[in-house]
Amino acid sequence: METQSIQNNLEQREVLVKVKRYSKERGEYWQEYKLNVDRFTQMTEVLRKIKTEQDPTLAYRASCHMAVCGSCSMKINGEPRLACKTLALDIVKKYNSNVITLEPMDFFPVEKDLVVNLDDFYGRMFKVKPRLYPPKEFMEGTAEPRLRPEDQKELWKFAQCIWCGLCVSSCPAVKIDPEFLGPAAHAKGYRFLADPRDSIYEERLKILVDSSWRCTYCYQCFNVCPRDVEPVTTIKKTRSHTKFLKDKGEVARTGEKHVKAIFDSIKETGKLEEAKVYLTTYGLATAIRDMLYTMRNGKVGFAMIKEKKINELDQVRKLMGE
Amino acid sequence: MDKLVYDAIVLGGGLAGLMSAHEIASAGFRVAVISKVFPTRSHSSSAEGGIAAYVKGNSDPNDDPNYMTYDTVKGGDYLVDQDAAELLSIKSGDIVEIMERWGTLFNRQPDGRVALRYFGGQTYPRTRFVGDKTGMALLHTLFERVSGLSVDFYNEWFALDLVTDERRVVGAVAMEMKSMEPYLFLGKAVILATGGMGMLYAHTTNAYINTGDGYAMALRAGAALKDPEFVQFHPTALYPSDILISEAARGEGGILRNNKGERFMARYAPKKLDLAPRDIASRSIMIEIREGRGFPGNYVGLDLTHLGESYIKERLALAYEAAMNFAGVDATKEYIPVRPAQHYYMGGVDVDITGKNGDLQGLFAAGEAACVSVHGANRLGSNSLLETLVFGRETGQAVVSYLKRAEGSSSTDIQKEAEKIVNDAYSFVKSETGVHFGEILNKMRNVMWEDVGIFRNEDLLKTALSEVEKLRAQVKNMYVTDKSKVYNTEFFNALELRNMMDLAVVIAKAALTRTESRGAHYRTDYPERDDKNWLKHTIAYLKADKVEIGFKPVTLTKYQPEARVY
Ligand SMILES: Cc1cc2nc3c(=O)[nH]c(=O)nc-3n(C[C@H](O)[C@H](O)[C@H](O)COP(=O)(O)OP(=O)(O)OC[C@H]3O[C@@H](n4cnc5c(N)ncnc54)[C@H](O)[C@@H]3O)c2cc1C
Ligand code: SF4
Ligand code: SF4
Ligand code: FES
Repeated sequence: METQSIQNNLEQREVLVKVKRYSKERGEYWQEYKLNVDRFTQMTEVLRKIKTEQDPTLAYRASCHMAVCGSCSMKINGEPRLACKTLALDIVKKYNSNVITLEPMDFFPVEKDLVVNLDDFYGRMFKVKPRLYPPKEFMEGTAEPRLRPEDQKELWKFAQCIWCGLCVSSCPAVKIDPEFLGPAAHAKGYRFLADPRDSIYEERLKILVDSSWRCTYCYQCFNVCPRDVEPVTTIKKTRSHTKFLKDKGEVARTGEKHVKAIFDSIKETGKLEEAKVYLTTYGLATAIRDMLYTMRNGKVGFAMIKEKKINELDQVRKLMGE
Repeated sequence: MDKLVYDAIVLGGGLAGLMSAHEIASAGFRVAVISKVFPTRSHSSSAEGGIAAYVKGNSDPNDDPNYMTYDTVKGGDYLVDQDAAELLSIKSGDIVEIMERWGTLFNRQPDGRVALRYFGGQTYPRTRFVGDKTGMALLHTLFERVSGLSVDFYNEWFALDLVTDERRVVGAVAMEMKSMEPYLFLGKAVILATGGMGMLYAHTTNAYINTGDGYAMALRAGAALKDPEFVQFHPTALYPSDILISEAARGEGGILRNNKGERFMARYAPKKLDLAPRDIASRSIMIEIREGRGFPGNYVGLDLTHLGESYIKERLALAYEAAMNFAGVDATKEYIPVRPAQHYYMGGVDVDITGKNGDLQGLFAAGEAACVSVHGANRLGSNSLLETLVFGRETGQAVVSYLKRAEGSSSTDIQKEAEKIVNDAYSFVKSETGVHFGEILNKMRNVMWEDVGIFRNEDLLKTALSEVEKLRAQVKNMYVTDKSKVYNTEFFNALELRNMMDLAVVIAKAALTRTESRGAHYRTDYPERDDKNWLKHTIAYLKADKVEIGFKPVTLTKYQPEARVY
């Protein structure tokens, strides 16, 4: 019976791929390609077929075809995705249409077709000193840099960033705040901040803390990351290190006030009224735009959770030391 | 053409290239790393299973570097240079400890020491790993480390060719992909660390960028390749994307089935069944497909369904996820569609155990681009990541001592030679008609797959050789429709094809020459290993369109050839 299902589902289906192209000479324009795909066809394969069989002038990046190199980031039907990790027919099914649109990632300047300039992204990554600075004894081999298995697990989650840039391309805070390092750099920075074997904790705090208060907690980076790195979690965790920072800047101070608002919200309802706190802090316009992103992503249920007072409010207040 | 002057130039930003650059920069020399992709996009990032190493105080108490050498020599069907395998084993512990100190998050034992797992062909478990993304973890660690040194990175720069002066390498010409500007990189030493060549085959687990550029550059500069006929195939690559489904899937009880639902391995390896060695399993699958018992699309099924959902999701998480993400197949309910695919290239630029090539002074090679040779006729799993780092380091150090005594500039007109290289490359772009790279590429990949693949014999190889020679001639009439001066990737694809064709003729010719079966090289007309005539390395040159084949003895130290049975 399993045999049957593979056989029956191998039929080809024609899709219409619309690519947003760009070149200095021609500017921006859309181009369409028709080709057959089956249930297994990855979008990188769609691109490869177009390039070798129909239009060799189309430019895009791809390398590993297995979601580990981070080359093939782009927007597919408006969603920030890795092309190799996206099956053509899944998109057809999801949008109930055999038209698939491909566009370059947002935020980064387009060089040609789907190839964007990532200098800004790399600059952010290098700002956080993305490497371990172990103490001398480790480097000289006089002490053994053992790591507890649970630390390895925690750090590895955040170390799995493949520098694909998708989170940064879709982060609203990056677009409006030049001082904000952005989600991927925060994940990278935190991976080393939290490593017990690192020796430049103070310096890292100085780089990371102020910036961590500039995130809007919209969870867009969480939604788009193809490796489940959860940059926003690292930002939360970095914020909790603010207390160790010697000279706090303006942002960190406001941030701490913001935390106080959250504290009050919990005292009031027993819950974090994320939406309300967010709205008062960042204004209605930003909130609506982010909500649109979230809706397109199909994660709207996640953002629309209604905050109701919980029943055990007394106990919560007790826990909070009332 | 503008010049950029360095002490050493490293072509390739994968594990091997980065490690050698680290050594050269740490010794105070000026080094440029040129890579056609941002370094973390290199193929090294795809490696899954792990890196083999004997670490004193953190290995199986019975293990020792001699066992590791022996396993490597036997796994390579005795074509391994045993001094190289010894060095690999002895230095393996250092390398893993270095990478750990630099921050690689190896999986741990409960007491905090690095964890170990078994890999095929190991007498004792000695593979260290980071989940199922060992290559990515190592590559990021090393890139981040080297990016903190004073190394100049030229990312998304395409190296066209080596620049030589009589018997010496004096640099390379590379082009910035963004601006399409060529530059002459001058350096006393050049290291080829350009990785493998999977794209020569219609089916490969390799990245799209693995087009064998380094092998072709070496050949065109007059350097030899060693053992070019040895191409490793892995039996279970996911259909159709050819993503690797690890051997673990069969180790845990997965069964290979044909379109009738038969457990066909019972016919080919009645005792070992689905756990037969890689080459046997690959050949069996191919026979099933060729005899019409594959599924439409040409693959067989890897059946895990009898293992039960919870067991699959727990023990074979990666195979389950890969099938789901990349083929849309739920392995708890359906067969995983698999077929063999090219996986690794044992052949490479002929170098000694310091990474030095004997044909051209100043030329070095490391990693999959090189043939040291530690893998012989068949690479053991998890030995290749180890090789990139150990020999990347050895090579870097050899370059440092070479730089200390190397002489300065040469007499011939380097600039002229560089210009010729660029003109040759541009000849495609200038012509207005001819064949297109896509046509030749697809034909070549099919010929290599069908006739220079898992099964070889004289007839197939002769056909293949004349086919690839014809296709190679057509490359001269190739044209590029895109005339743009920004990321003209069509132009680079055409150059890659030129490189693949140079390598293809060499592989086909060497495979035709070796009339025995050894490791991954299987000749149906000569099914036995023949130590009397063939216990020797093939040495191949490409001279004026002719492949010239010679031989070199295999270095034996402690281990005399014996039958390779497991
Ligand atoms: C799916 C898969 C899984 C694997 N798993 C394992 C494993 O578990 N354990 C193991 O030991 N081995 C494994 N291997 C093998 C191993 O990953 C590779 O052999 C190794 O990573 C090669 O590293 P490298 O540094 O030699 O080359 P690569 O990492 O391939 O780097 C090549 C570099 O050269 C550059 N380059 C190439 N051509 C040019 C040019 N013309 N101009 C400029 N730059 C150029 C590229 O940009 C790249 O930076 C696996 C291989 C595959 C395919
Ligand atoms: S949660 Fe913060 S870092 Fe993530 S996308 Fe939103 S603003 Fe950016
Ligand atoms: S955090 Fe995730 S989305 Fe962002 S760059 Fe890294 S892998 Fe990509
Ligand atoms: S091609 Fe490597 S992540 Fe898609």
